[in-house]
Amino acid sequence: MSAPTPPPAVGYRIPSLSFRILAGGLRLLPLIVLLVGLPDAALTFLQSHGIQLPLSILTVTVAGLAIAVLSTARYVLKPTRAYGPLSIAVSLVTIAYLLTLYLIGTFVLNLPGHAISIGLGVTGIVGLLLLVPAISLLAGIVTTVEDLRAPRERLPFDYPP
Amino acid sequence: MSNPLGQPYRRPPGLYRLARAFRRVSLVVFVLIILFLASAIYSAVEVVRSGPSTGGFGATFAANDTVAVSGILNFSNPGFYPISGFAVHIRVLNQSQVYLGEGSAGPVTLASGSNQPITITFYLPVGSSGPGASLLTQDQTLNVSVWGNATYAYLFPISIAVETNKSWGAPFADLAISVGTPVPGMGGAVVPVTVQFQNHAKFADSGELTFAIVPTGGPSCGSGSFDLDVGPGQQFGQTTNVPISMGCSPSGAQLEAEYVGNGVTIPLPPERIP
Repeated sequence: MSAPTPPPAVGYRIPSLSFRILAGGLRLLPLIVLLVGLPDAALTFLQSHGIQLPLSILTVTVAGLAIAVLSTARYVLKPTRAYGPLSIAVSLVTIAYLLTLYLIGTFVLNLPGHAISIGLGVTGIVGLLLLVPAISLLAGIVTTVEDLRAPRERLPFDYPP
Repeated sequence: MSNPLGQPYRRPPGLYRLARAFRRVSLVVFVLIILFLASAIYSAVEVVRSGPSTGGFGATFAANDTVAVSGILNFSNPGFYPISGFAVHIRVLNQSQVYLGEGSAGPVTLASGSNQPITITFYLPVGSSGPGASLLTQDQTLNVSVWGNATYAYLFPISIAVETNKSWGAPFADLAISVGTPVPGMGGAVVPVTVQFQNHAKFADSGELTFAIVPTGGPSCGSGSFDLDVGPGQQFGQTTNVPISMGCSPSGAQLEAEYVGNGVTIPLPPERIP
């Protein structure tokens, strides 16, 4: 049995690829600041004060860049069938990143020269945060299925006239 | 109703609506978590700014050959969230890293907007046979480990450990008891006994210092006492003549002293008489 024929793709206007690339690039900047710049700055600050880092700067940079770039690619390719799989990829990378934090469990900061140790458990809040990409993952799966069953079906609603 | 092109609005397909609902729920959850995080961070800053303070620290002789050290930790929680399971522990080692004692307080829950004093008491053994006997007569540096844990804003377990050195002032610092040569007196023989020490503790030595001259393998052959009212930082030095039994030679004997005050009796380190 063949897939149902999608309704005619009328009544919507997809921005051009160049526009989407430009907008995606502009969108990428704050994402990089949020996901890479600020966390790296915080970790560098701790490191400069001799505090052992709970998480390497490289891990934060790679994970942040991966999420930001995938998220931008998802935005640029939203009118295509790659949107759903890219949504899944963004969610999976985010889940992997958060799971790394979850497995660390407790961030321990040893203040050098003061014999003071401060421990902060993060499993609770990271567990809550995991809900966000988990739900987004479901959205990505549903969109992928929808694009497989009825390509372009969602475009009139994603890009209303 | 129609769109700006005059076409009728079409209801989005089921899968589209489902995906959109997931995305919206995800966004709402994210925003709620961020709001919670922001308020928790703000509250935590307020708690830190309120500055937990310590006060009422004091020490006194206590039963079972101990010195009781107690203090009050005043803790206020001006934040939005409770601090639950707040407990503090203290462990004290002497300068040779020998365990002396420990104490703890809690766990308690500090509700949002509340102030709560937390009293912590621990006992240092100062009996003559215990590891802390030298605390009576020798100033020293104690290794104090303090650690506490709590759960803040339901989700954040926090632990803090501080290790520090504290100087201990001995209540009978540099205690010296000297016994002179027996001389005739009081119908027999008397021996002058001199006691000197400095009170380096933060509490007074009030009461009585009793002593006995105990020859090797024999019963006491003379005893005496001094009344004490030596405040913190003060010196004490007195001599008294102690009648001794006939035939008793203080030389080679042991001088055993006790501090008696505030309803407790604390044995002081014995001294061999040359």
